[in-house]
Amino acid sequence: MDRPWLAQYPAGVPAQIDVDAYASLKDMLVASCVRYAELPAYSSMGTALTFRQLDEASRAFAAWLQKVARLQRGDRVAIMLPNLLQYPVALFGILRAGLVVVNVNPLYTARELTHQLNDSGAAAIVVLENFAHTLAQVIGSTSVRTVVTTQVGDLLPPFKRLLTNAVVKHVKKLVPPWRLDAAVDFRQALAAGRGRTFDEVTLGHDDLAFLQYTGGTTGVAKGAMLSHGNMVANVLQVAAWIGPGMKDGAETLVIPLPLYHVFALTGALSFFSTGTQTVLVANPRDMPAFIQALKGSRLSAIIGVNTLFRALLDAPGFAEVDLSRLKLAVAGGMAVQQAVAQRWKRATGVPLVEGYGLTESAPVAIANPIDIPEWSGGIGVPVPSTEAAILDSDGQPLPPGDVGEIALRGPQVMKGYWNRPGDTAQVLRADGWLRTGDMGTMDERGSFRLTDRKKDMIVVSGFKVFPNEIEDVLAMHPGVLEAAVIGVADERSGEAVKAVVVRKAPTLTEADLLDHCRLHLTGYKVPRIVEFRSEPLPKTNIGKILRRELRDAVPAKASSPAPTEPA
Amino acid sequence: MARKPATYRPRRLVLRDGREVTLRAITEADAPAIQRAFDRLSADSRYQRFLHHKKQLSPEALERGVHPQPGQAFAFVATVPRREGFDVVGAAQYVRAAAGNARTCEFAITLAEDWRGSGLARELLASLLRRARRDGYAVMMGLVLADNEPMLALARKLKFALEPSSEGSAVVRVVRTLATGEP
Repeated sequence: MDRPWLAQYPAGVPAQIDVDAYASLKDMLVASCVRYAELPAYSSMGTALTFRQLDEASRAFAAWLQKVARLQRGDRVAIMLPNLLQYPVALFGILRAGLVVVNVNPLYTARELTHQLNDSGAAAIVVLENFAHTLAQVIGSTSVRTVVTTQVGDLLPPFKRLLTNAVVKHVKKLVPPWRLDAAVDFRQALAAGRGRTFDEVTLGHDDLAFLQYTGGTTGVAKGAMLSHGNMVANVLQVAAWIGPGMKDGAETLVIPLPLYHVFALTGALSFFSTGTQTVLVANPRDMPAFIQALKGSRLSAIIGVNTLFRALLDAPGFAEVDLSRLKLAVAGGMAVQQAVAQRWKRATGVPLVEGYGLTESAPVAIANPIDIPEWSGGIGVPVPSTEAAILDSDGQPLPPGDVGEIALRGPQVMKGYWNRPGDTAQVLRADGWLRTGDMGTMDERGSFRLTDRKKDMIVVSGFKVFPNEIEDVLAMHPGVLEAAVIGVADERSGEAVKAVVVRKAPTLTEADLLDHCRLHLTGYKVPRIVEFRSEPLPKTNIGKILRRELRDAVPAKASSPAPTEPA
Repeated sequence: MARKPATYRPRRLVLRDGREVTLRAITEADAPAIQRAFDRLSADSRYQRFLHHKKQLSPEALERGVHPQPGQAFAFVATVPRREGFDVVGAAQYVRAAAGNARTCEFAITLAEDWRGSGLARELLASLLRRARRDGYAVMMGLVLADNEPMLALARKLKFALEPSSEGSAVVRVVRTLATGEP
């Protein structure tokens, strides 16, 4: 296949990466721990963990998982943590023990958590105490038998730990009461693990590393099977991409995006593999704390989404952050707005470098070269060892300039969806091409642009929302006759969820409906706008909904005959 | 256009996987079986059929569905025997598309989950094409989710053209003329 994009690669970026450099992601992480031993690997709330300390703690956790929890190779272990030092310790520990990581959004509701734990068949979970009450509600109906709980300050030095944990619990009151029988404290698990011998596990490229959940059109999240080979590939691809601009063992990355999001996860691991110190920001919505973390970091790189860069630019105090070492600002997960890109460049002197990918491609597949002088407006060119093409509806490649579906092929493309061969066959062709569901174009030089989506999907601040899931939740409310959900443009989040609802109960209020949604949906999925209509939702005569007409703020007069919708 | 009420002689079909179904026009006695079939449909199938989440079939919609107005609408069902009576495992329907266009009809196909890939959808759609032509329609169209590959493949096989829809990239419009003299 012709790869016109290679001519755009900056000097020092190879056309291919050597996936066989490491047998597994685990081996790669351990190698970095050894190579950069004395350097700080992760820091949070002013406390750093060195590569050596991370090596030691994750080995202890792995030993505990193996010998005390008696988990078997291939078992799934959920991580329900925000960006704290416990996250990399748990992550590396699980991978070292030959187990499979299932990242869980800590803000998930009971309904969402139940699905993910059951679909993955997770045998164990590591959960922050602040969210243990959600787990406590559902654990009885899942296969989880081992629970490790941790408090925010658990890996901070003793005095700071006690103070932080007390403030979180008693002053900020961020820990709703919970009760989980037989839950084990994270610090106790580490202590117990230190006293056990850890049996090294040999892993290969085909062993699963992650079940990384991503929404589906039917509203049911599916677990993308990302193998150790997929992860080694994407970490190497991203590391090769940023390599020419970054100095081994001398950089500082700030990561405000949650690590359970695949873009943050792989991005951070790529920096980790080159000895970068990663500053974890647990809650970027707490802007004063975020700005504080930035001020103390002397950052050289940052990974975020458009919404976050925009919020930073608007934040009081951002102008005083020392950005003299900043070399790279990476944006992904959602489209970057031109205004945000321009403001960012003016304020920091560094362009926003936009990348593109999917959970199913671990995720980075296409990216702008990091030496671009200005935000390009496109998503860039395929990264090393990656092919990309624009396909027509028959799956045939289209010439440059034509709009079609973006397809990807490379060593980072997932093995399939966990236990869903039918869904896998829909997106993954036998010849290895992944159909992304995103529409776009490629020019003669091999640069890609996004134009539209093939899937009914709304992207809110980099998180995918599928209308069907929200419609399902809305329909659960007894006061709702019918409901449909669409995405509308939003300055802050790119798109916002809008619900159009026909009431069954005339007394139903927006507040009732939003309370109901908050009970069943994580915050980003909850409709921002609710519009009540008194006439049936617009449909074709055979009963298919016309979403386009829902976008009009003023409901159209019913002029078509009553819809027919049998069988 | 006055037309005779829909008549259609039931037909036995042997599908390529060996299973047998009966193909016939819908009748009002089918209502309970249609309701059962709907209840069994996955969220996926319902979304594909209605292009949104559909919790239940309203009694009014069910009533309309089992009483297609002659000339305005027609529906086939594919049934299999069960211990008492029968189950509906597939349906194909057309409805006149819009008030202003009497010669265009819109179609929809619904299949029970375990009957996908059996060739039943093709039989249903082919029968529906013939029926719509006999009923005087010149064009048949439908809206299909862009990621509903099996339906798009079937539409292509039966000579539908695929066009962009006014609904954006997520929905494809499939359209075909119903020239007389075709099989």
